[in-house]
Amino acid sequence: MLKKMAFSFPDEVLEHVFSFIQSDKDRNAVSMVCKSWYEIERWCRRKVFVGNCYAVSPRMVIRRFPEFRSIELKGKPHFADFNLVPDGWGGYVFPWIAEMAGAYPWLEEIRLKRMVVTDESLELIAKSFKNFKVLVLSSCEGFSTDGLAAIAASCKNLKELDLRDCEVDDLSAHWLSHFPETYTSLVSLNISCLGSDEASFSALERLVRRCTNLKTLRLNRAVPLDKIANILRHAPQLVEFGTGTYTADVRPDVYSDLAGVFSSCKELKSLSGFWDVIPDYLPAIYPVCSKLTSLNLSYATIQSPDLIKLVSHCPNLQRLLVLDYIEDSGLEVLASSCKDLQELRVFPSDPFGAEPNVSLTEQGLVAVSLGCPKLQSVLYFCRRMSNEALVTIARSRPNFTRFRLCIIEPKTADYLTLEPLDVGFGAIVQYCKDLRRLSLSGLLTDRVFEYIGTYAKKLEMLSVAFAGDSDLGLHHVLSGCESLRKLEIRDCPFGDKALLANAAKLETMRSLWMSSCAVSFAACKLLGQKMPRLNVEVIDERGPPDSRPENCPVDKLYIYRSIAGPRFDMPPFVWTMDEDSGLRLS
Amino acid sequence: MCMELQLGLALPGSDTWSRPLLKLGLYEDINVNRKKRGFDHGYLEDEFSAASFKNYEKGLVGWPPVETWRRKKLRCQVHNHMTAAENGYCGGRASNSSYVKVKMEGVVIARKIDISIHQSFETLTTTIMTMFDIFEENRRSFKLTYQDKEGDWLIAEDVPWRTFVRSLKCLKLIRSRG
Repeated sequence: MLKKMAFSFPDEVLEHVFSFIQSDKDRNAVSMVCKSWYEIERWCRRKVFVGNCYAVSPRMVIRRFPEFRSIELKGKPHFADFNLVPDGWGGYVFPWIAEMAGAYPWLEEIRLKRMVVTDESLELIAKSFKNFKVLVLSSCEGFSTDGLAAIAASCKNLKELDLRDCEVDDLSAHWLSHFPETYTSLVSLNISCLGSDEASFSALERLVRRCTNLKTLRLNRAVPLDKIANILRHAPQLVEFGTGTYTADVRPDVYSDLAGVFSSCKELKSLSGFWDVIPDYLPAIYPVCSKLTSLNLSYATIQSPDLIKLVSHCPNLQRLLVLDYIEDSGLEVLASSCKDLQELRVFPSDPFGAEPNVSLTEQGLVAVSLGCPKLQSVLYFCRRMSNEALVTIARSRPNFTRFRLCIIEPKTADYLTLEPLDVGFGAIVQYCKDLRRLSLSGLLTDRVFEYIGTYAKKLEMLSVAFAGDSDLGLHHVLSGCESLRKLEIRDCPFGDKALLANAAKLETMRSLWMSSCAVSFAACKLLGQKMPRLNVEVIDERGPPDSRPENCPVDKLYIYRSIAGPRFDMPPFVWTMDEDSGLRLS
Repeated sequence: MCMELQLGLALPGSDTWSRPLLKLGLYEDINVNRKKRGFDHGYLEDEFSAASFKNYEKGLVGWPPVETWRRKKLRCQVHNHMTAAENGYCGGRASNSSYVKVKMEGVVIARKIDISIHQSFETLTTTIMTMFDIFEENRRSFKLTYQDKEGDWLIAEDVPWRTFVRSLKCLKLIRSRG
């Protein structure tokens, strides 16, 4: 009787239940319960997430999910952000747009990260999707303002245009004028990455004035300080605002204008921008500081006293991005003023300098860890560290979910004991049981990887550089970290043994990156031959790997699981190892 | 250092593999590996010696891991509190140098100037004039010219600042005629 009831649920009921399930992971789990649930789920999935655009083909996605409205795609490996992936590697979005243009005239949202987007792709989006609403391009490249003009001109229902840290060919600022005068639906606009050429202020002002639902506006550097007041005056409803250049001759009228207009922004919660900032104009934002939850000062080259003053006005801060000009003293003030702080990122002002240019050490991080009970995500660049500090940090802040520490000089030992920092990082993984992301630095032996393999059971992403002694280190990680999805390694003495011994593990992960390590061409070939569901790609700008002895290490290696088979859009310096001959040229 | 680990070499729940592709005899190998890395390339040995890690000398690609777009954005700013030229953000071979050669008519020795800390012809000209010890009264008798990517010599203030910076190769201060 019970069995009969379970199968007699009409599809619509199940669909309705599934509509409350939004997360990707949960949807995937639902689809694996039984065949009928798989079928119902695939017809009603509205958001598709593809973490690696080469793991699956557009056609496969379309075949399985015939009615999605939103897609998120990621392309290049993370280390592309640091210039480690040569230009032309891949990550082209056009094939996806082309397939979707045919199948989905009703697509509404496209979110891309680290992909190559051409004007052609943007024009195709503008032409094909009549109800297009959201375009988020994060760390993308390959397009110009012409492509943006096409989007502006055609997408009458566009709500969100977010260009985060993209490389855009700035041909003309007049693309903004392509938004028709009748267009009013903009809710979010982020053009902070666009060039510093003269922007079309009047077009921008008119756009802001008529889009009364605008909540997020992040300007680019070309917008001068005295123009900001004009823009903000028309958008007092803004929740997130990014200034342009924050410098001007100090004039009382400009200042009071600015201060006045900020006072009228009662909903403002997030501020960013602040290029070329001069301290005299900072107090203009004090009226909004008490409500701020997010502050991005990572381009503000101002000294610690000014930063301290600013931060002391923001008791509700949850997220702070800042340069190391804040110094230990500033972080101590942060720790005592901002008890709601959840995320802190401290960037280096002079990363290539030999000597420290500011007084920022491990003490600052310790202070914040001790003082901010909700702190869970940290990215910290500094020049010295100790095991003692790391243990203190771990013990006081077991709720860390993301911990990324970059000690600027590779292989820097504990400055107090001159020992490796194994014990310190060991404490981090031991105490922070929910740690999902970890970046290591400093002097580290295989021991730290033993700790990681033993304790970091929830770790999903690990970044390693200049660490370890032998294959044992890599083996600890691959065999111990059950939740590992992404592993990226550079300049470590890890070779064939650990990789081949843990080959099957690689199929449970999204990807593995290894550059300047000791993995031989022979091992790559073997892996490619034996593991058909992995794409094993060798990146080597020195020339074909078979022009060197087989036991020579490859320059860079990128391994990812895929059900789409090897790709065919590789540049001349990328080779796929596959089952046929162990070597396939593009 | 001896690793007190039970190395279980069975792969976790793998259908395709009942044993690893390569048996991992780590206990024996670890001490051997320390001495003999088994690389054919000498360069890898050198890379791991601490002395070669000074970023500003060797210019390691992608280290420290600051995103390229962040580096670029930060580089093109006025550094309010730093002395010009010395402490520019643009060291290391991973980034394009923003230092430009400056010559003065009649002076043998050329100087270098960090263009990224300037945002107007005014500050640039003032800095250069000061560099060559030209007193204020005399500044009007000099003109700033520049050589662009095409090799042509042009008068600096004839073009918009942005165009100037983009195509600038080197600078020369000349006495204005007439």
